[in-house]
Amino acid sequence: MTRGLVISIFCLSLLVAASAAAQAPALRTPDGKPDLQGTWSFATVTPMERPANLAGKEFFTEQEAAAYEKDVVERNNKDRRDGSAESDVSRAYNDFWWDSGTKVVKTRRTSLVVDPKDGKIPPMLPAARERQQERQSLNRDHEFDGPENRPLPERCLVLQGAGPPVTPTAYNNNVQIVQGQGYVALLIEMGHEVRVIPTDGRPHLPSTVRLWKGDSRGRWEGDTLVVETTNFSNKNSFRGSSENMKLIERFRRLDADTLMYQFTVEDPETWARPWTVEIPVTKSQGRLFEYACHEGNYGMAGALAGARAEDKSAHQAQKGSQ
Amino acid sequence: MTRTWNFLLAVLLFVISIHAQTPAQKVPGIPRMPDGKPNFTGLWQALGTAYWDIRDHSAMNGPFYQLGATGAMPAGQGIVEGGEIPYRPEAAAKQKENFKNRLTLDPEVKCFMPGVPRGAYMPFPFQIIQSQRDIAIAYEYATANRVINMGKPKEAAVDTWMGTSNGRWQGDTLVVDVTGLNGQSWFDRSGNFMSENVHIVENYSFADADHINYEATIEDNTIFTRPWKISLPLYRRKEKNAQLNEFKCVEFAEELIYGHLRKR
Repeated sequence: MTRGLVISIFCLSLLVAASAAAQAPALRTPDGKPDLQGTWSFATVTPMERPANLAGKEFFTEQEAAAYEKDVVERNNKDRRDGSAESDVSRAYNDFWWDSGTKVVKTRRTSLVVDPKDGKIPPMLPAARERQQERQSLNRDHEFDGPENRPLPERCLVLQGAGPPVTPTAYNNNVQIVQGQGYVALLIEMGHEVRVIPTDGRPHLPSTVRLWKGDSRGRWEGDTLVVETTNFSNKNSFRGSSENMKLIERFRRLDADTLMYQFTVEDPETWARPWTVEIPVTKSQGRLFEYACHEGNYGMAGALAGARAEDKSAHQAQKGSQ
Repeated sequence: MTRTWNFLLAVLLFVISIHAQTPAQKVPGIPRMPDGKPNFTGLWQALGTAYWDIRDHSAMNGPFYQLGATGAMPAGQGIVEGGEIPYRPEAAAKQKENFKNRLTLDPEVKCFMPGVPRGAYMPFPFQIIQSQRDIAIAYEYATANRVINMGKPKEAAVDTWMGTSNGRWQGDTLVVDVTGLNGQSWFDRSGNFMSENVHIVENYSFADADHINYEATIEDNTIFTRPWKISLPLYRRKEKNAQLNEFKCVEFAEELIYGHLRKR
């Protein structure tokens, strides 16, 4: 009896030691913080908001997920040539150049939005909608006047998905995390963005300093890295947010291959209530590639030159009819 | 059980740390990683005028009289060891052409990524984030960044502005081998340049806790007759709460690049 117990305890402690040796060193940095490092892919076919036909359904079954994945991958296929001339043009980049993911998120949720429960971003407040419409109307009929009239991604200033917050997008979905003493760095493949996040408890920048990507401060809450970002520039907006948005991101290592990324948007000037997104992101074996967007922005010159050519022919047509 | 493991680990780390550093190489009083390696994490910046011209230079007027004294180039001692960049004759001629046309040709004017080594001595800080594995460098100018791979060396997959960096330790010196540079970067605002055949080896070593001795050896047979070296100190930014800010300069270069295509 006693001998049996001793052997059991011995075996148990071996198991504990073995599992500690297998996991702990890999998932902690030398200073004991959770190790979030590595390259993570945000690619997924799970939509930001729950589609209407899935109303009331929070999770896919395994079969439903497989069917949904198949459907989205087919719909997204840029090598299809079965539509109108316009849809052909919209598929001008072959499928090879896209990397929008082929799988739903591991949790099999039907939307990335987890709060509110209906999986939808809350409706924008009337004042926020007006603000957005006013901004859009200023640009109406001037879309090609100059580089400032083009959308931020076309200007290579803020690329889709680069954030903050980081969201799944059509390509360059990788983020590399490097942790140093007092800092966490996020290297974001989309638009070669980089965020250096102090975790040493220092205060935010004065409110007069505004940044395209805001001013981030990190802290550890148990095993979760919590990052609060404020000081956004009014030249940028996340889904209609105001410059006073407060963004809370949470990073938690679930296992060797999964990092849980959550963010909560708080912006009473835009939404009556905060809303939260959850994306389990997966370890990527590939490397980050440098996205020199601005350095190779022939598209901007082409778009503006095209608009000037149109101006010229419209002007000549007008002269001809006089 | 855990205590035993911790003890064994501590002994192992100690043995490794004394093994990795001979006393002669060890700089006292510098920040170190738990494994004893120097810890370069922090905000760094070069002083001086190398960003105008890495060679010795006198003060001279700038390209725009409207900027008056603020746009003029200050004098400075160069960072090129031996003073001369060993250009091949045709490359020396091209450098002069570059200088003449610097307003349209200098990648910095257009807010293009700075490349290596230029990022290290621009008039902007850069942040090093050093982990127990890889080391990230984020430059304030143009949000340029690079990761120094400290694992098994990786070959450059494609040519890029910031290159492919593989690092290793030589005592207390971080040696970074940079390949896969696209050759479109300049060294400074004076048209000193390289080609896509360039190979750069950087050395980062602490002089003391707040100063890094930075060196880069440049090898490019198509442009230079022999390898040559630059060296300069990097200073730790000591202002209270100094942080890497944001200089997304695209919006400041758009008129210059696309202005001629604007609707009139």
